[in-house]
Amino acid sequence: MLSSILQVLILGLALGGVYALMASGLTLIFGVMRIVNLAHPIMIIAGAFVAYWLFRLYGLDPILAMPIAAAVLFVIGIVLYKLIFEKEAANAKYSEMTVLLTFAVALCADGLLGALFSNTQRVTTPAYGTDAFIFGTIFIPKGQAYAGAISLLVIGTLLAFLNFTRFGAAIRATTQNRAAAQLMGVNVGRVSLITFGIGIALAGAAGALVSFIFSFFPAKHWEWIAILMSLVVLGGMGKLMGAILGAFLLSVIAAFVGTYFGSTWSTMTFFLALFVILLVRPQGLLGDKIEEA
Amino acid sequence: MATELGVSDVLKARKDYNAALASAGRRERATWFPLALLILLTLLPALQITGGHNYTLHLMLYAMMYAAMASSWNILGGYTGYISLGHNVFFCIGGYFSGMILAYFGVTSLLTAPFAGLAAAIVGFAVGLITLKMRGPTFIISSIALLMVARILFDHWQFVGGSNGVALPQMDIPAQWAKLPYYYGMMIVCALTVWASYRIKHSKFGLGLRAISQDEVKAESAGIDTRFYKVLAFAISAFFVGMAGAIWGEYITYLRPNIFLIILVAANMVLMCILGGKGTVAGPIVGAVVLIAFNEFSVTFFGSSEINLLITGLVMVLALKFFPAGIVGTLAKKGRLPRVLDWD
Repeated sequence: MLSSILQVLILGLALGGVYALMASGLTLIFGVMRIVNLAHPIMIIAGAFVAYWLFRLYGLDPILAMPIAAAVLFVIGIVLYKLIFEKEAANAKYSEMTVLLTFAVALCADGLLGALFSNTQRVTTPAYGTDAFIFGTIFIPKGQAYAGAISLLVIGTLLAFLNFTRFGAAIRATTQNRAAAQLMGVNVGRVSLITFGIGIALAGAAGALVSFIFSFFPAKHWEWIAILMSLVVLGGMGKLMGAILGAFLLSVIAAFVGTYFGSTWSTMTFFLALFVILLVRPQGLLGDKIEEA
Repeated sequence: MATELGVSDVLKARKDYNAALASAGRRERATWFPLALLILLTLLPALQITGGHNYTLHLMLYAMMYAAMASSWNILGGYTGYISLGHNVFFCIGGYFSGMILAYFGVTSLLTAPFAGLAAAIVGFAVGLITLKMRGPTFIISSIALLMVARILFDHWQFVGGSNGVALPQMDIPAQWAKLPYYYGMMIVCALTVWASYRIKHSKFGLGLRAISQDEVKAESAGIDTRFYKVLAFAISAFFVGMAGAIWGEYITYLRPNIFLIILVAANMVLMCILGGKGTVAGPIVGAVVLIAFNEFSVTFFGSSEINLLITGLVMVLALKFFPAGIVGTLAKKGRLPRVLDWD
């Protein structure tokens, strides 16, 4: 009994790391630009496709493909920002129109990926994808263990970047108070641009990991929107630590629900959690009072 | 000799003045146009006497359905400013409510549609009590989550056929006239919705909703019961979408979650509203007609629903970037709006 609980806990934590990585870019972008990026999950799928094709065509390991996926998505992020979101980001206030804009971008990307690659289930199959570490009665699928560990590594790097570099400080300053940051000589336009790129690149990196732990298809991102948003809302919008905390918490709960009630309800956990959070503590665990639009 | 002016005198004078303004406004309004449109739509099925116009009727029915749904969405998204991306949940509830009655008791949806709308409105009211507590991003997110929850529930609810859905019995009418009951049913729903949308915009309730969309805190301090107003707007908006769903379900003769609960339906509602002009009465109708015509072209030329999704997204990006006020809104701002489209 105890070992089975431990088993579920470990699986939940491993996935929690990946969820945290998936949500980190989202919350970073919201923090700096007040953009709720509904197109974030489709960017994760795009990253998964990069890893998938590199694996299929060149046999490149998805973990090694991760930097490439991140780089490709960084470029896509920069282009999207320049083409579409520059004006909205400068506004730096939450607006419904901007959310709709990201929704429209998500529709475009969904349609484009669907038309190019069709909506069939795919998964990359590196050797460790079907292997597992076994400790006595506990087993940990290698894929999930690697993905969780690498996610934590990337998030750690991100946190170090935010906390110990000048540019990271500029990002944090812009998150806290855009006008004051600008007065202190921070080039907020450039900070926004790079942050948007980094956010989308994080989605791409997460996508490469997702490609071997979940099967994916373009239309799946709608489900992920709700999942990722529930993590971010639980933690408090725009709070990176909050999103990470939310990811681990919900992922573990979902793992237990999935084990004892079936996998359908495991997905449901995230959505129901979202409603419960909205009822009980709408600003999230670590959030301040959400500013009025 | 100072005249004694009581408060009631002032109020009466103001009321008279407002009434005079309103009637002056009414005289200028082209009320004949919507009525003429309605008569035209009523007479349109006469084409079928010669036969071969089923496609035209289908397209009109489809356009009227979306006009109704976009107008209904407009009550919440346009007047109140709360963007719901999961409004097709109510479309689904309406469709399934009437569809199941039809499947088990054989009563046509045309009769049960108002009850289907009511069922959708009750669910909307309950959901609204929770989700409308939050302004801003969280409401939009919760509306997507609502859609996902509904999709999982309907996919696994064996009583309503799960993800395979249910086939509905068809009415015993010759093919030439088979579309007519639904055509007229949808026409009535559409007319009702537009009328309700107009009435709401010109009521104290509608004024309250628009105040909420401008500044909720100020609206609250001005004495508007914002919570009740919002939830009521949500329920009303669910009601008409539910009615449209009921008729659509029987018309296409089967119910399946992936007909009702796909994001494209919600996206269409939102896009039509924005394309036509958010918060105007005529906007959603113009948007529905334009987008459906455009979709017909794009499907003919490009086929496949994925490309359709891509194009819908592109149109939405362009509309939001360059015409955020929509066709009707932009024209009205420039003072170039033809009188026949000024339904406000």
